[in-house]
Amino acid sequence: MSGSYTLEDLREIEERCRELAGELGFEVPEVIFHLVRPEEVYFAAANGLPARYSSSRWGAQFEDAYGRYRRGQERIYELIFNTKPVHAYLMEGNSLVAQTLVIAHCLGHAYVFEHNGWLGAVDREIMGRVVAAAERIADYMGAFGRDRVEDFLDACHAIAVHQPQAQLIRKAPQPEPELRERPFDVLFPEEVQAERERVEAERAALRARFPREPEEDLLAFIERHARGLEEWQRDVISIVRSEQSYFLPQLRTKILNEGVAVLFHQEICQRLFLRADRYWEYEQLNAVVTQPHQGRVNPYNLGINLLREVMRIAAEPGEEERERWPWAGRDEPLERVRAIIGAYDDEALLREFLTPRVCERSRLYAFEHLEQDPRLIRISSREADEIRELLIAQHSTLGIPQVVILDADFRGRGELLLEHRHTGIGLDEEYARGTLTEVARLWGKPVTVRTIEGRDAERPLWFTGYPDGRSERRTSPPDRPERFFERSGERELSPRRGYR
Amino acid sequence: MTVVGESGLPRDAGRRDALHHRERVRRKIAEHLKEHIGEEDIIAAGPEKKIRVPVKGTRRWQFILDRGQGGGVGQGDGEPGDILGPPGGLPAPGAAGTEPGEELYEVWLDMDDVEELLFSELELPRLKPKADADATAARPVYNDLARIGPRLDKKATLRENLLRNAKRGRTSLGGIEKSDLRYLSYRETPKPKHKAVAFLAMDVSGSMTVDRKRMARLFFYWCVQFLRSRYDQTELVFVAHTTEAREVTESEFFGRVESGGTRVSSAFELIARIQRERYPPEDWNIYILHVSDGDNFAADNARTLELIERAARDAALVGYLEVDPAGGSRAHKLSAFFEREAASLESFVFAGAVDDRELWPALKRFFAKDDVQAAVR
Repeated sequence: MSGSYTLEDLREIEERCRELAGELGFEVPEVIFHLVRPEEVYFAAANGLPARYSSSRWGAQFEDAYGRYRRGQERIYELIFNTKPVHAYLMEGNSLVAQTLVIAHCLGHAYVFEHNGWLGAVDREIMGRVVAAAERIADYMGAFGRDRVEDFLDACHAIAVHQPQAQLIRKAPQPEPELRERPFDVLFPEEVQAERERVEAERAALRARFPREPEEDLLAFIERHARGLEEWQRDVISIVRSEQSYFLPQLRTKILNEGVAVLFHQEICQRLFLRADRYWEYEQLNAVVTQPHQGRVNPYNLGINLLREVMRIAAEPGEEERERWPWAGRDEPLERVRAIIGAYDDEALLREFLTPRVCERSRLYAFEHLEQDPRLIRISSREADEIRELLIAQHSTLGIPQVVILDADFRGRGELLLEHRHTGIGLDEEYARGTLTEVARLWGKPVTVRTIEGRDAERPLWFTGYPDGRSERRTSPPDRPERFFERSGERELSPRRGYR
Repeated sequence: MTVVGESGLPRDAGRRDALHHRERVRRKIAEHLKEHIGEEDIIAAGPEKKIRVPVKGTRRWQFILDRGQGGGVGQGDGEPGDILGPPGGLPAPGAAGTEPGEELYEVWLDMDDVEELLFSELELPRLKPKADADATAARPVYNDLARIGPRLDKKATLRENLLRNAKRGRTSLGGIEKSDLRYLSYRETPKPKHKAVAFLAMDVSGSMTVDRKRMARLFFYWCVQFLRSRYDQTELVFVAHTTEAREVTESEFFGRVESGGTRVSSAFELIARIQRERYPPEDWNIYILHVSDGDNFAADNARTLELIERAARDAALVGYLEVDPAGGSRAHKLSAFFEREAASLESFVFAGAVDDRELWPALKRFFAKDDVQAAVR
């Protein structure tokens, strides 16, 4: 099958698909398709973007996925990048039918990139920066040793996702208390004096706090305020942070984005009047792409079912639905889909359209891990409300626990105190301790996080990581350090060598 | 409309990063190797000189919620209450994933590296020069370079030439001068002249369960590896005992299964006899290691101690390791008896191990470097 078509064939298919998309009312921006070897597809997929800085982290992901491909356990059909113009990779060796499906699919993605408010907000000219950053990091590796730079990258990657997800929403800083003057102040000089002192004290406490407000942008804060970082290290931090910020909107629109892409390939391939044997091959591929995943959610499957539900509500709503959505029964279905592509992310899409009907079509269930063996799961419910709540909880945080910087002068000696803003479940101990030692290496001093134990909000826990790789767990907050003379006295009493 | 035929990426970039990754993992494993000393995989390596260790590689750390605490949403058949297998199939490829990266590696390690790492911390304690020693004769090893000599090192010479050219801004070879020439040379490392014999005695009685025997063998395996790699002229004598002791071959020693009661003194009696006949203490450094589960026939304890005291007079080391994976009460064990009666005996070192991970500390106790040994006492 492979090699039985030319680039010219692919060009014709692309043009035909684009025409059909236009007839459906979708104006698709330019997409540059590259026909590339499997190895390149997997390499770019592991990196997230082509020509990104070299890192053994990508190497590990590449080896994993490419190994599965070679063993026949997995196959990436397409890869697409949210840049301007959009670039997409087609894999050499896929059949012409598969390429047709993928081209139509990619046009859907390209439409979403162009029109979605979240995805359009990212820097789509990122490639220039990515290439320049890759060159700088290669220089640093040459100058300071590959291992040293890699270790530093590892530490940055560990907390790169902890940045504000909606740049638009900025909380107003907490106002400083002020002394209000009242009409009869002169009559109560003592009360006024007491009030003045109270306000002064509060203001001083507020000003002594650093950061003033809990800081969500971990890497940015460390880049700005960590002592003892070299210039190249600050540069690496900012590279990792800004490249990660480019990916976050993609995580938040995964279901919507894949849903639209599937909608595109389904609608377009239906209209291509494929020969019977080719249509059969297309149907098989489509079924594979949209099959439900046991134990997790296939975004292709849930995405298309959500959009089909939107279209159904637009075309043939029930009585209640007519009341709930003013456009129900009025809008042209694809018109409604376009409106949703423009303004929604996964959370909004799920909140509004995850109906019992969608749950049933996607065969969704809510599950819990078994306490005896957490690798096993027990189905806890098939109710739409419970499923929706769980899915939204996952998607509103992108599955990332919220961790903020509370204090950059913890224990009075420049240590970092983080807080896990939990939603009922604490941090995983092994991973928290591993991550904290990485952060401690960036910060140069011990870093502590406050969380809770398991599902017990009444039992706080503190994990601390040290720059030398040690870590510990406490059930009470770490004390303030002992005073100097006490420590030095103690050292004299317990010599390090000699006793074992 | 655009379809183009290539990506413009370097052709081997993926492999290159993957290679770096593998190299890093290998090194991280080497760092953590000591924790793996008890692994069956290492012992199974045998003569192949390569071992295969499944290791959790360099983890991709990040904050995640307590695994197994949260619930989630899945797809497929089943009724509420049904229990299903592990969630998740293949992880989503590419991009900045939010799932923790859990990786398992099987890496081939070079046995020479392993030994270098592990054994550099050990030595035979109190090794004394003995008459007509032939244990390790000093051999010249070419490990140095000089500017004069008979054997030209071409590689080093070219390197010098490159360096010198580079300093003048030229990036090629050429114009080799006399000052570039490098010759192979050696530093003579004086080695102690000694002769040594190690008696390795193992309890193979019925009370030595499969687990205990496995630990004992594991311990001796590493002893033998250590002695062979560092003191390759050391003579080894293998002794297996129940209520009777027998001298056995190495393969019998490691393959032996027996049953019956335990009389530890039998082993020390046999060792004393062999020593008298073949290894007079004037000529030999003597090391005795005995491993048992400590379930000795109680009436035999005093006799055992007497023999150990006698052996310790001549031996540089008498070591006793008690393996007890179950970790039950120790009151009636040999180790408890030794703690009461033999704590101050010079040259006698005993240790206990309840799991494989404690074998390494035990090895370190027995084969501690002399200065550390002094500090322990």
